[in-house]
Amino acid sequence: MENSNPLIQVKNLDLHFGAFHALKNVSVDFHAGEMIGLVGDNGAGKTTLIRVLCGIYAPTSGEVFFDGNKVQKFHPKLAIDQGIETIQQSVGLCDNLSIARNFYLGREPVKRVLGIPFLDMGKMREKSTRVIRQFGLRANVSADDEVERLSGGERQSVKIGRAVEFKNRVVIMDEPTNHLSVREREHVNELAVQLKEQGLLVIYITHDIFQVHKLADRIVIMENGEKVADATTDSMTAEELEEVIRQGGRVVEKREAV
Amino acid sequence: MANSSAKPLIRRHAEIGIFLIGAVLIVIFASTSDGRWANLYNIGTILQVTATLGLMSLGVAVVIGTGEIDISVGSTFGMGALAYLWLAAQVDPAIAAVAAVLVGAAIGLFNGLLVTRTGTPSLIITLGTLMIFRGIAIALTEGFSFSIPYAARKGWTYFVLGGGDFLGFNTALYWLTTLTVILLAALKATPFGNRLLAVGGSAESAHSRGVRVDRIKLSAFVLCGTLAGFAGTLEAGKLGFADGSMGRLMELQAIASCVLGGCLLAGGRISLPGALMGAFVLSSIQSYLVVTGVRPQWFILVLGLIVVLAAYGDRSLRQWALRK
Repeated sequence: MENSNPLIQVKNLDLHFGAFHALKNVSVDFHAGEMIGLVGDNGAGKTTLIRVLCGIYAPTSGEVFFDGNKVQKFHPKLAIDQGIETIQQSVGLCDNLSIARNFYLGREPVKRVLGIPFLDMGKMREKSTRVIRQFGLRANVSADDEVERLSGGERQSVKIGRAVEFKNRVVIMDEPTNHLSVREREHVNELAVQLKEQGLLVIYITHDIFQVHKLADRIVIMENGEKVADATTDSMTAEELEEVIRQGGRVVEKREAV
Repeated sequence: MANSSAKPLIRRHAEIGIFLIGAVLIVIFASTSDGRWANLYNIGTILQVTATLGLMSLGVAVVIGTGEIDISVGSTFGMGALAYLWLAAQVDPAIAAVAAVLVGAAIGLFNGLLVTRTGTPSLIITLGTLMIFRGIAIALTEGFSFSIPYAARKGWTYFVLGGGDFLGFNTALYWLTTLTVILLAALKATPFGNRLLAVGGSAESAHSRGVRVDRIKLSAFVLCGTLAGFAGTLEAGKLGFADGSMGRLMELQAIASCVLGGCLLAGGRISLPGALMGAFVLSSIQSYLVVTGVRPQWFILVLGLIVVLAAYGDRSLRQWALRK
């Protein structure tokens, strides 16, 4: 794994929101077939980093390479076209649209009538219905229901189901098990492992170092917009990594200096 | 029993309120005006006004659907009317109409670019352009009006562009019907419509799914300007003259039509039939006040009161529907 070229390579990334320095000189490599646990406290910059990777934010400076090519323009459309699926924590579903419409938002299947693209609602309903059944949504929820009706867990299931359905090369999960029941959480974690085993790069963001330590190949810890640790899970225990987070990354700075 | 089935229906279809209000008003107006309101000629007049106001309302509804607002449509309407009359006196009305529609589209593009490129709230941008284009319209006419005498308005192009009646109704009504069907199909059954409503529902979520939010908003503004310009064309085709005040305050009526018709100002939920019914209700109220001889100085006051009552009734109905 270490010899192959990284699928995503981040080099010296900086991002400012006005006076706020959200990402500070972040460099990190992600490989295909790898599951990364991206861990850190609130405001550490985890979500900001993945929002750059999925095209929502453009960095102030620094470079991102995808599959060896430098990313020139940042837009979610480009990232999705490249095969990066992201399960965002707070965004991704429009309450006013049905599940089927949300499922295909931005890449709607069409049937052309006289050259005019009309939504292929049949296909949209069929696929999204299959996914919501797989994820065990309430039996009375249909693909035509507005997302507004769904509970937090159901919304999360729709987002995860969508990402898995369109899985391509990279799946980024931002706190995927929030709002989920124990059973649903296990299901999501199994899915994440399966995706990795199918050769995808999975980036799994969480607060819970113990949970992700069991799943991931490598843990990247962020603190105050900086990467403070990057270690394989067999080289450091969850307890050691938790200590790094508790110390705000200072311990690791010493270790890196050695 | 009836309640339990009506509530979900009203919850799903916000436009039901305005249709009920419309029905109630029709009964009241018809029974209290000695046949002066409810006759074919007057209904035809109401529908002609509904057609031009309705076209504007459709455009405003589309912009509201994206979570923005366009209050400049009254001036766009006036500019469309002036452009049409000025050119129709010199070239074929069909070409003049195309030019007038392009003027509307250009104003929409101007609004849309200002809103999306600067990130300034559309309320203040279009309030500014409302004044800018009203100012231009007044400057262009400078006290006199653009007109084409009735005798000169012959030929099928004048007829088709609001200048004549077909089967008893002004041709503008047929334009409205056709464009409503097209817009409804575009909104409900195409990727563009899906993305447009997604932008209004949550621009952030739409963006994260790869929707180009600014392009969608821009096209909504262009569409709105186009429809307002065309509405101005049809009104000018009907009247044969226009001055600098053409379409003044119509922007407020168009927005009122949309809101009464169940369009959520926050975006994401709009009803085109509702907006049209809103336009019909407003035109009906105006007509009723005219035929019953309400003194002009009371006209706006009474119109406003009825609008407030209608809005209150609609809101009460919706809240009733939301209660378990």
